[in-house]
This record gives sequence, C-alpha cells and structure tokens, in this order.
Amino acid sequence: MSHPPNQRSSYGLQTPRTRGVPGTKRYAMVIDLRKCIGCMSCVVACKAEYGVPLGVWRTWVKVADKGKYPNTRRVFMPRLCNHCDYPVCVRNCPTQATYKHKDGFVLQRYNRCIGCRTCMVACPYNARHLIPAKRTDDNLPKLVVDKCTFCIHRVKKGLVPACVQACVGGARIFGDMNDPNSEVAQLASKEKLTVLKPELGTSPSVSYIGGDWEIMDEAHSYNNRTAQLKEEFNTFKRNHEGDAFGDIVEGEPTMRQVSKNFGGFLRTIPHKAKEVVDAFVNLYLR
Amino acid sequence: MDDSVIISNVFHHVAWGTTIAIYFWLVGASAGSFVISSFGWVFGITRYKPLALSASITAIILLLLVPILLIWDLGKPLRFIYLLLPSYWHATGPMSWGSALIFSYPIAMIFYTYFVVKNNVTWAKIAGIVSIVLALSTHWYTGVVMELNPGRFLNHTALAPLLFLTGAFISGIGLLILILWIQNMIVSAEKRINWSLIEEMAQYMMYGLVFDAFLLFLEFMQSLYGSLNLVIGHEEVLMGVFRFPYLWMEIVLGLIIPFIILVSPLKRTRAGIIVAAFLVAVGVYGMRIWWVMGGQYLQTFY
Amino acid sequence: MTEIDRREFMKLSAAAAAASACPALLHAMELELGGQDFHQIRTFHPRQRKPYLCTLCSYFDGGFSFAEEGEILKVEGDPDHIATRGKFCAKGLASFFGRYDPDRILAPMKRVGERGAGEWQEISWEDAIAEVADKVSVALADPDSIYLNEGSFKEGGTVRFMDTIGSRSVIRSRLPSIGTKPKQTALEEALGFNFALPDLEHTKYVLNFGANIMETALPLAQRLTDGVVNNKLKLVTFDVRMSNTAGRSDEWFPVFPGSDGIIALAMANVIMEKGLAETGFVDAWVNYTSEQGLRTDYSSGHLLKDLQEFTPERAEEASGVPAKIIKRIALEFAKTKPATVFSHNGVVWHQNGTDGEMACLLLAVITGNIDTEGGYCLPRRFDVAMPQPAPQPAGSTSKRLNPEFPFEVKEGVRRVQVLFNHMSNPVYSSPAASVWREVLKDPKLIPYLVDFSPFMSETAELADIILPDVVDVERHDVASSPTALWPWISMSNPRIKPRGEAQDVRLTLKGVVEAIDPDGSRGMKQYWTFADTKEWVKQAVKATPHTEEKSYKKLRSKGVWPSYGKIDPATRQIVNKGEPVEAEYLTYKAAGFPTSSGRIEIRTPAWRENPRHQDMKPDEFILITFKVAYQTLSMTSNLKYLAELWHSNPLWINRDVAKELGIGDGDLVRVTSEAGHMVTKAWLTNGIHPQAVGISTSVGRTSYGRVALADPHAHASFAREEQEDPDIDHNLWWRDPGTNPNDIVPISIDPETGTQTWNDTVVTVTPAEADDNYGDIKVDNAKHFDLYKKSKAQA
Ligand SMILES: Nc1nc2c(c(=O)[nH]1)N[C@H]1C(S)=C(S)[C@@H](COP(=O)(O)OP(=O)(O)OC[C@H]3O[C@@H](n4cnc5c(=O)[nH]c(N)nc54)[C@H](O)[C@@H]3O)O[C@H]1N2
Ligand SMILES: Nc1nc2c(c(=O)[nH]1)N[C@H]1C(S)=C(S)[C@@H](COP(=O)(O)OP(=O)(O)OC[C@H]3O[C@@H](n4cnc5c(=O)[nH]c(N)nc54)[C@H](O)[C@@H]3O)O[C@H]1N2
Ligand code: SF4
Ligand code: SF4
Ligand code: SF4
Ligand code: SF4
Ligand code: SF4
Ligand SMILES: [Mo]
Repeated sequence: MSHPPNQRSSYGLQTPRTRGVPGTKRYAMVIDLRKCIGCMSCVVACKAEYGVPLGVWRTWVKVADKGKYPNTRRVFMPRLCNHCDYPVCVRNCPTQATYKHKDGFVLQRYNRCIGCRTCMVACPYNARHLIPAKRTDDNLPKLVVDKCTFCIHRVKKGLVPACVQACVGGARIFGDMNDPNSEVAQLASKEKLTVLKPELGTSPSVSYIGGDWEIMDEAHSYNNRTAQLKEEFNTFKRNHEGDAFGDIVEGEPTMRQVSKNFGGFLRTIPHKAKEVVDAFVNLYLR
Repeated sequence: MDDSVIISNVFHHVAWGTTIAIYFWLVGASAGSFVISSFGWVFGITRYKPLALSASITAIILLLLVPILLIWDLGKPLRFIYLLLPSYWHATGPMSWGSALIFSYPIAMIFYTYFVVKNNVTWAKIAGIVSIVLALSTHWYTGVVMELNPGRFLNHTALAPLLFLTGAFISGIGLLILILWIQNMIVSAEKRINWSLIEEMAQYMMYGLVFDAFLLFLEFMQSLYGSLNLVIGHEEVLMGVFRFPYLWMEIVLGLIIPFIILVSPLKRTRAGIIVAAFLVAVGVYGMRIWWVMGGQYLQTFY
Repeated sequence: MTEIDRREFMKLSAAAAAASACPALLHAMELELGGQDFHQIRTFHPRQRKPYLCTLCSYFDGGFSFAEEGEILKVEGDPDHIATRGKFCAKGLASFFGRYDPDRILAPMKRVGERGAGEWQEISWEDAIAEVADKVSVALADPDSIYLNEGSFKEGGTVRFMDTIGSRSVIRSRLPSIGTKPKQTALEEALGFNFALPDLEHTKYVLNFGANIMETALPLAQRLTDGVVNNKLKLVTFDVRMSNTAGRSDEWFPVFPGSDGIIALAMANVIMEKGLAETGFVDAWVNYTSEQGLRTDYSSGHLLKDLQEFTPERAEEASGVPAKIIKRIALEFAKTKPATVFSHNGVVWHQNGTDGEMACLLLAVITGNIDTEGGYCLPRRFDVAMPQPAPQPAGSTSKRLNPEFPFEVKEGVRRVQVLFNHMSNPVYSSPAASVWREVLKDPKLIPYLVDFSPFMSETAELADIILPDVVDVERHDVASSPTALWPWISMSNPRIKPRGEAQDVRLTLKGVVEAIDPDGSRGMKQYWTFADTKEWVKQAVKATPHTEEKSYKKLRSKGVWPSYGKIDPATRQIVNKGEPVEAEYLTYKAAGFPTSSGRIEIRTPAWRENPRHQDMKPDEFILITFKVAYQTLSMTSNLKYLAELWHSNPLWINRDVAKELGIGDGDLVRVTSEAGHMVTKAWLTNGIHPQAVGISTSVGRTSYGRVALADPHAHASFAREEQEDPDIDHNLWWRDPGTNPNDIVPISIDPETGTQTWNDTVVTVTPAEADDNYGDIKVDNAKHFDLYKKSKAQA
C-alpha cells in the first residue's frame, strides 16, 4: 500500500522541513504586535468558527502590564499553535493522529486520536487541548485532542484563517512564507521577527514583530501573576472538568487533591463506559 | 516584580495526572519485584528461588492493573487497540514503544511463572531473561516518555530513566518485603520465606537508596545551575506546590528515614525493616506524583 | 438635518456608481479576506450569506451572517464595507449567540407572583397584545402618562408608537448616534454636527482625551493601528487609568479626574502664545458664543487674551500633569501636521463636561485641523428616515435623559400609568440603580411595566409583562453611522425565522395600535400599514434623503450602499480601478457649517473645578467606571464566549497607595459612597492615578441567566429544552460574576445636559470589615433621595 507523501513522511524522526525549500508551500502567520490592540476578536472568531468549548482555546491573547506609575505600558501577546516546522507533538504521537501536512499545517485526525495527550505533554507552547466530554454540537469530536488548524478548511478555499479575517488591528498576517511575494515573506525580510522559545528548535511558523521578552518568557509568566489571575486559575482547576486530572490548586493540601483527582478519574467511568457500550451496540446489535 | 505583571491569560490543564503517576508507580514496583524474582532462576542465586513465585505473581498483578488504568485514562478507551495496529504504529512516539512493552512484558512474565511452577529450569531461565529485559525496558520507558519532551524542563533530563529504574528497584523490593511479610503470616511454617533473605533484600534496598539520593542530588545541582525555569521549577514547584510529595514523602519519609533505619541497629528488627520497606514504597509514590504533575505544572501558566 | 452637503454628496455617489461597476481587483495577498464561509468539516458548499448589521453599539458595523439549514452559525464584517473593512469586534462576532441563549425569553410572559419574584406564565401573543392595548387605551385619557424608556442607539418603532399615540413622555438611557449627551451638545453647538471623526489613518499625531478608542470604538481603532504602522503616527492619551488605549499609546499621562478641560485650554494657550496657531483659519471660520450670545467680531486676538488665564502651571496644579509636559505636547501637536484630537466620556462625564469637550475641539480648531486630511473631520452619514407617512413628532423625540426619572416619579412630579421599556436596563445601568429597583418594584408608582427584552434583564425581571423582541441577527434593520470618510448605509436582511415565538417589537406595536384603533378612526392605524419589518426597512430606505431607486435593491443583496470600490487587503485602502479612492476634505468650504452663523461657534473658554474634589481626605478617591472591549453594558451579558473573556471586575487601585492603606492584591475592600457601600476585591496596579479608583461595568449581574451569574445551575424557569447548551452546563468554569457599582453611585446631574457625571463620584476605600463578604452591597435609598435633592438644588 502506498501512502500519500504527507503520510509517509510522518514516519521516521520528522517530517522534512519545508521552510525555504523550493517547490513547497510553508503557510505562516506573522503577528505584528505594534498593531495588536487586545480586542480579542481573534479569540471569539476562532471559538465561533469551531464551536470551541468553554475552558479550552485554540488561540488566546495574553496580557501584561509593565512599568512603574506613571510610566507604564500594556502588552498583548496573541498565542496559537506555532505549526512548528519541527513539531515535537507530531514526533511523539503514538498513532500518527497528528501529522504535518505538506504545506506546513500541523493537523489532527480526530478518527485516529485516542486521547492519550502525549502530544499535549510534548507541545512546549500549550497549543493543544483535550476536547471536553460535552459540547454544544454533539456531532463534533469529543475527548480527543484538538488544536489550531491554521484554518486549513478556509485556506484551501482561498480564504485567510478566521482569526486573521477578524483581526481588528490587522495584526495577524497570513500567507506562504516560501513565496517571496507574499506579505508574510516581505515582512520577514523587512522586520525583525521573534518566535517563542527559539532555544527549543521547533522552528515555529508563527512569528512576532515587536515581541516583549517578559511576556514571551515562561518563567516570568509563572512568577509574575496578579492575585486575580491566580485565583481565576484556581477556580478553573476546581471547576473545569479537563478529563486529565493533573491539576493542583495552590495553597491547598497537595496529596488530598491527588486523591481527588483520582476520584475524578473514577467519575469518568460512566461516560466512557457509555461510549464503550454504545460502540458495541452500534457494531453488533444494530 | 510589581512592575511587570501578567494580568490576563487563559488556563491549561496538566495533561497527565494522578492516573499516570499511579501507573508509573505500579510499573516500577512490578519491575522491581520481578528483578527479585529473577535472582534465583535467572542469576542462579538459589537462596532466592523460594521467593520467585510470590515475586513474579506480585509483578503480574501489579502490571495487570496498569493497562486498565491506562486504557481508561485515554479520551477514547476503545481506541487503545490503535496503539497495537501496524497501520497506526508511529515509530518515533515513545508511547508506541511503551505499549509494545506493556503488552509483551506481562505475557513473558506469565510464561516465566508457568515454567517456574513447572520447575522447568532452562525455559524458566530463558523466559526469565526475556522478562527481565522487558521489565527493565518497561520501566525505563516510563522515564523516557516524560523525558522526551524538550519543553518540560524538570523532566527533560537523561537521568530520568535511571531515576525511574532506581525508584522501581527500591519500591519493588519494598513492596515485595511487605507482601512476603504478610504471606509469612498466612502460610504454614515450612512455606515461610527465611527472614534472613528479607534482611538481605533490605540491604539491597539500602544501596538503592544511596544511589537514588545520589541521582536526586545530581538533579538538584542541575536545577540550581539551570535556566530560570529550572530554578523556579525547583524552588516554587517542587519546594512549593509539590513540597509534600517531594520533600516530605520522597526525601524525608522515603529516603532519609529508611536509610537511617537500614544503617542503624533497627535494621535487625522486623519492625524496622517493615517500616523502612513501607516508607520506601510511599516515597517512590511521592516521587511519581511530583515527577509527573510537577513537571508539567509550571508550563500551564505560560 | 442633512449631515453632508448635498452637492458634495452627489459627487461622492457618482464616484460610487462608477466604482461599483469595476471588476474585482487583483490583490497583493494570496488569500481573500472574507466574504465566504464554510463549515470546518462539511466544506463542500459555502454557507448561505445574508447582510447583517451589528446594532450592539452605535457604530453599526456592516457585515454578513452565514447560515446552514436556516441556522446562523457565524457572523463577520463585510470586507468591502467602507467603514467596517471586514472587522467586527469581539461583541459583534459573538452577537449571534444571543439567538441560542439557553435562558432567552421565547414567548410573551405574564407575571404571576409578586413583582420581581420571578414567577412567570407564558401567554399567547393575542392575549398579550390585548392586555397591553387595554392598558394603553385606558391611559390614553392622559397620553403623557404613558412612558417609554428607550435605550436603542436609533429611533425606531417605539418612538413612532409614542408619536402615534401622542405621548411626549420619552426618556432615554442613551442617545441615538455616537457619543454621550455633553459631547453631542458641545459638538452640535460648535460645528452643527453631533459628532466629529478623527481621520486616524492619515494623521501624524493623535491627542486623545478620555476616549478608550481601542476598546469602545473599534472602527476607529483599526484605522489607528494602520496609522501607527503605516504612517508612524504618535498617539498621546490622557486618561485617569491605563486603558488598553492608554497602555498602547506612545505616551500616556494619568490625569486627575475632570481636569482634561484645563489641560486642553493650557495647550491652546501655549500654541496661541507661541504663534503656532492658524490664526487665518480662526479669523475666517470661528465665531464665539459667550454669556452675551454670539459674537461675530471676535478674533484670534481676543481668543489669545481669553486663554491667558489658563497657564500650564495652573493646569499642572489641577491635573497633576507637569507644566513642562503640557508645553511639550502642545508644541508637538501644533507643529505636526496633520494632527487630530479625539475625546469621549473621560472628558464629558464631569460637571464641566460640555466645556471640556469644547476645549478639546478648540485644539483642533486653532491648529486648522478641521476637516483636513488627517485632521478632525466632519461626519459623513445618511439620516435614515422613518417609513412614510410618519406621525407628527409629539415632541417625544426630545433627547431627555432618564437618570432623574425614578426620583421624579417618587416625588410625584410624574404620574405614570404605563411604562414601556425598550433596549434599556436602568436597574443595572443607571446611577442610583437601587432607586430604580425600588420604584419599578412599586405598583403604586409604576402601575404597569412592559419590557420588550429578549433576555431577563434586571429591569425585565420587574415587568408585569414581557413581549420578547427578536435579537440582532433576526432583525430586519437599516442604519448609518459616521465612521468613515464616505457616507454609507447598511442593512440587515436575515431571512430566518426568529426563535420560538419571539417577535419584532415593531410588529408587536403594530398589533397594539391595531387593537386600539381597529378601524383607523383614531388616525393611528395609518402609520402602521407595513406588512412586515422587511417592508419597514424598504420604506425607510426609500424615505431616506439621498438614496436612489436602486439603493434598496443593492442593500438587500450587498448589505451596504453605496459601493466605493474594493478594499485592498494589503494596505486596507479603498481602491477603484487600481487607484486609491480619495476622500473629500474641507467640505465646509462650499456651504459653511450648519450652525446659525455658518461658522464654527466656539464658547468662551471656561473650566470649573469641582468643589467636592478640592479637598479630599487621604482615603478618599474619585470612583471612575469604564467599559471594556469584551462587553456592552447589558446586551452581551449572557453570551458565553464574552463572559469567558470578561466576568469579574476587581477595584483598580494604585499599588503604592493601596500599600499605604494596608490593602494587598486581591484583598477584600469596602468602597463607600455617600449613599452606601459595596464590598469587592482590590486589584493593585501601576496603571491608575493615585487619587482615583476604577471599576469596570458590564458584570455584577443579578439576572440574565447562568452565564451572567457564573452559575451553570441557574437555569431560568422558562428555559426551553431545545435551547439547552451542554457546553455551558458542563464546561462553564468561572464562578466570580463581579460586582455592579451602580447601586452606590449617587445621582449627580450635569445641569446643562441632564447627564449623570459618572466620573465625579467620591468614595472612600477601606479594608473590608470582619463580616463583609465579597459582593455585599448596602445602600440607603433615602440617602440617594437626599443627594438627588442636593444635586437639584445646585443646578
Ligand atoms: N457605572 C457605569 N454605568 C454606566 C456606564 C458606565 O460607563 N459606567 N455607561 C453608561 C452608558 S454610556 C450607557 S449608553 C448606558 C447604557 O445603559 P442602557 O441603555 O440601559 O443599556 P443596557 O444596560 O445595555 O441594556 C440594554 C437592554 O436591552 C436588552 N436587549 C438586548 N438586546 C435586545 C434586543 O435585540 N431587543 C430588545 N428589545 N432589547 C434588547 C437587554 O436585555 C438589556 O437589558 O449605561 C450607562 N451606565
Ligand atoms: N466594548 C464596548 N464598546 C462600547 C460600549 C460598550 O459598552 N462596550 N458602549 C458604547 C457606548 S454606549 C459609549 S457611550 C461609548 C463610550 O466610550 P468611551 O467614552 O471610550 O468609554 P468609557 O469607558 O465610558 O470612558 C472612557 C475612558 O474615560 C476614562 N476616564 C474617566 N475619567 C476620566 C477623566 O477625568 N479624564 C480622562 N482623560 N479620562 C477619564 C476611563 O478610564 C475610560 O478609559 O462606547 C461605545 N462602545
Ligand atoms: S506549537 Fe505545539 S502543537 Fe503546534 S506544532 Fe508546535 S509542538 Fe505541535
Ligand atoms: S492525544 Fe491523539 S494526537 Fe495526541 S498523541 Fe495521543 S493519539 Fe496522538
Ligand atoms: S488559524 Fe484558525 S484555528 Fe488557528 S487560531 Fe486562527 S482561527 Fe483558530
Ligand atoms: S484580533 Fe488582532 S488586534 Fe485584536 S487581539 Fe487579536 S491579534 Fe490583537
Ligand atoms: S464595534 Fe462591535 S459592537 Fe459596535 S457595531 Fe462594530 S461589531 Fe458591533
Ligand atoms: Mo453610551
């Protein structure tokens, strides 16, 4: 059986890198932070496009305040999957459920995904999430991992991604980095671009103009949260059923929560059992 | 610090949680007790032969729990079969190797146990060698599956498999000691395991503790001199949020106290050994918790 | 009033006709910016596209809704809309979820229990309309006892209804068009237009006073970012706190609340003194109104003299902004051409609001930046008409604001028999909200309260009957807003059925009119002959000045008219046949300004200090409230994706000040006004003036449903199975619904315009007391009443 090239190439260590390789496409997003106004139209557009459930995000905008009164600034940092040219998530997936498309998209095959979340652990950018057990449109996938698709369904129809469409500031610019005439390629040659965690060598396809190192830094983000944000995160951990059970609320006994998490795991037995039974019924009894 | 704050962000779950930590612990304990079981039949240390059966049965039972946990932890439990289908197999995914190991290791162990029961020396040895390789690999793999994530600073260390194997060794012995102790209380006098054997195992456990402490120290050095992520990972995550499993469970209860017991005259008392064995098993459980959940913790704020 | 000169306009529409004939252009970008939509999986055929018009705010952005099998699944901006350019804000993009709100009211409901007890009975439309018609018929003996509280950004069916029945009792929670009353008043007086548009994409310098452009004025914001990058403009913002706009400005100056006016005047003074003013423009085009009335002999020389008292040093004393900076910015502004100003609620919501707005405008005037490329431009828009024949205005179109209404009712100054409430939520949004609650709850004061709200707002909760309107995406609508340099008109043409039994308010009122005047003998029915709302829109377009025969047809298919060309996605400029379409500037030259003298009529410079702000104690602060990008006041409360972005509103307090008061980040604090106190959390920030504290609006709900209340179990008793959303019930994770400051905000009316001076409230902030809980609110309505009387006496 011969595989289409994109599937075959997901064997081996990695998909060959395509950045700058003639004859290939490399879709990329440049985010011009000088133009980002933190309006979060991108976030809502993306959520609406895919019916993304509450508590998980394909894209989001991080916000930081800098400086001492009265010399202060606000910084925005839109985030999404980087569609890495050297994606760790693809390398670590045991079932080839996630793969790199030949044009540079890193994509999910929902019907292959077993929901093991290896890719989530592997992704250095938090770009992936497990879809909760319940969502608005029951016909869309659940309990498999999902992520930004660079809106391949739109791009293939000649449209920009939904978040680019919606971007009020015009900060998100999308196109083929390998095409020297594209806007992204021109920006790449004209402006200083930065990427997140360059030291990891993932070769992201999402790059930023005017990035601020502090908001881009993992350690800084952990250390410099407001009390409000900490509390929100703790509420999130308490109330959002992630079906992954690794969340520990700060300031509460750790091991008690570990046991609680195991209890949470046990509580998934009914809905997962239902899935198992349904599958059995569908296969043999219908 | 006050003049540069993150005021808004979205939240992420820790993808692998308690279930995975428990699984790591069980696999480890299984591998550890299997190693003991193999002493007699594979390495020819005959005084360990009486232990072999209980040890391998312990290992099998521990390992049979594993797939149940793992499969149920999947978002799509029924699809666990994809892990074994050649058309889905992904050679570079650590979990692919893991699933192969998790499924073949118990089978090999069952063969081994069968030959042990049948007293078939040659085949028991062959099956034993295969099983011991698989046992070590299975547990090596649990370290590796966390290690091969370059973005998870605390886990991304080549020492990971070694830490896991050492943990497996000591917690396996610890658990086995507990099981043998209970077994001795139940079975008739002639079937009891000689306590001196158990004392000897405790001795091995002590060596394991020393090695474990050494590895932890290496890790500690690395984090002190690492990037800020590692420093914070150690200071705020391990000594902060995960202080209980890290400091109290693993280091104090799981390393220091058993070590003191095992080098003091207490090691000659039954109670001393039992307590030490119990504490070691608990300590390794603590390690599995912070290793799995703490390792991912910091990044969920990013 | 015609807002654009007819001749100019005819020129523009000729250009438009030419533009619409030209074929699609080739873009620099390889992908289309929008206009089509596909399901993420079922990609074989595009979704059905319908023109859509967002009416969540007065910018009325035009776009499309996309439907599959009769269900709307997405909305987005129209990429070739001259103003929208494809962009909707977060609120607009989420607006269509209102259709699927699980706690939406889908049928007429009659109160069965006590008022406000939340017990409802669904009734048929026939019964509902009969009941309302009955009440109106009885009250018609004194038409003025029938009230309408209107919150729409336009005049529509409800005002027409009031005119039909001859009632003058229309009060408004907000005015039609952009801006709040003092802003509109000042601009109308000076320019003859109630709005002026900064030409942000062409300017080099923006002086922004108290306008949060990036959060509240999205069509302007997108032009601002273009200007920042393409034109390297400089943005300078004066705001009490670091809004997103302030935080993204090149320079932000925190000001003492209410001091923008004197800063602007001091700048004008510096500019005049240094001889940097365009005195020629001033002498030719500016007149002055003073106490004595209009002065036509007034010249720039007089102005120079009148400005002299406003020294930068005095401004520094009042505002805290160093005189040196005021001078520097003034000189930069005057020397950079073109430059523009913009100002909004930060300036006008003070006792000296109208003067403040005048002062800001003065800066643009003396530098000759009026209606120039990159300057402060006159608005271009259509005045969308009512379908004809329309009833004679009974005087009801008056722009009377509502904050005093409940007090007047309680005092017995106003006798109410029926109160209609439309698109307004005073029990949440008005000052002294607790007084509204008390009065609306009292059947003796308000015998019959009708609400048209599709959602269970804090006000609807107190109604006797709810006649649920359709939501935005279901409404046939037409509007125009001065958000671009070319006038445009936009239309919504949903072609889907409203959910449940919801019915457009115009059809409901048509039913009421037909019931009161069945045979037309009372002369009411003649104004309500349109068959449906589609017909209404058609007639409205037809009656609108400057539209043409084909306008309606074009609107129906394209959603916007006229078409000036296509937007080049790379530059975001409008191009026609490859050439950028240039806007017309200096439009006043032909026929002058539509003021009494045909010139700009600036008031004699004035600024008054608020006496209450002069000697504040160390723990006293001025409470400012503000809007955020992700919510409207109430219309978006129960939309899950917006609430996920913004659901709690801790008190902004300066970090150093808080530490002195012993308040830590996240601590509970008591905010006490003269009327009462509320308990909320402190948010320590470097981004607010030390003498001010701030609370965002739009959250702190006591009604609306499970999303707004941050409680997935708070299902409305009338929630329908078919509207259930498992996502909300299962995944809604936040539990902090925020707090609403409006109960403790005492009434404080600007005597000139009748506006609440929202940013004048003085409060004390103290650490919470032992038995205080987050969200506690304790107010004394008697005190609110005293304060109302005091405010009246001062006026
Ligand atoms: N503290 C504080 N208070 C403020 C402000 C502030 O900055 N701070 N801002 C003030 C300003 S500028 C304004 S304009 C006012 C706004 O205040 P209001 O004019 O009272 O507007 P909303 O509170 O948004 O209420 C709108 C109501 O319309 C209903 N509604 C929503 N969609 C529809 C629909 O399609 N049809 C119908 N019939 N009804 C609908 C909703 O239920 C909601 O109750 O608030 C003022 N209040
Ligand atoms: N996202 C969103 N957009 C909206 C609306 C909405 O509800 N949500 N509502 C629409 C409506 S009805 C209106 S009226 C407009 C309002 O639009 P804006 O006027 O832009 O918004 P506000 O938040 O009322 O006030 C603007 C700023 O004034 C600041 N401020 C307060 N006091 C002072 C002062 O004394 N001096 C200065 N310089 N600044 C001060 C506040 O910090 C705030 O940032 O927005 C419209 N657009
Ligand atoms: S950002 Fe994460 S999910 Fe996206 S391609 Fe890179 S590693 Fe994979
Ligand atoms: S969760 Fe799905 S995509 Fe991710 S690693 Fe597992 S199978 Fe692959
Ligand atoms: S590219 Fe598409 S999927 Fe990715 S963040 Fe943007 S809208 Fe979402
Ligand atoms: S839509 Fe654009 S401008 Fe708005 S937050 Fe997203 S990236 Fe920034
Ligand atoms: S700015 Fe937002 S809310 Fe206002 S009209 Fe535009 S899309 Fe609608
Ligand atoms: Mo407003």
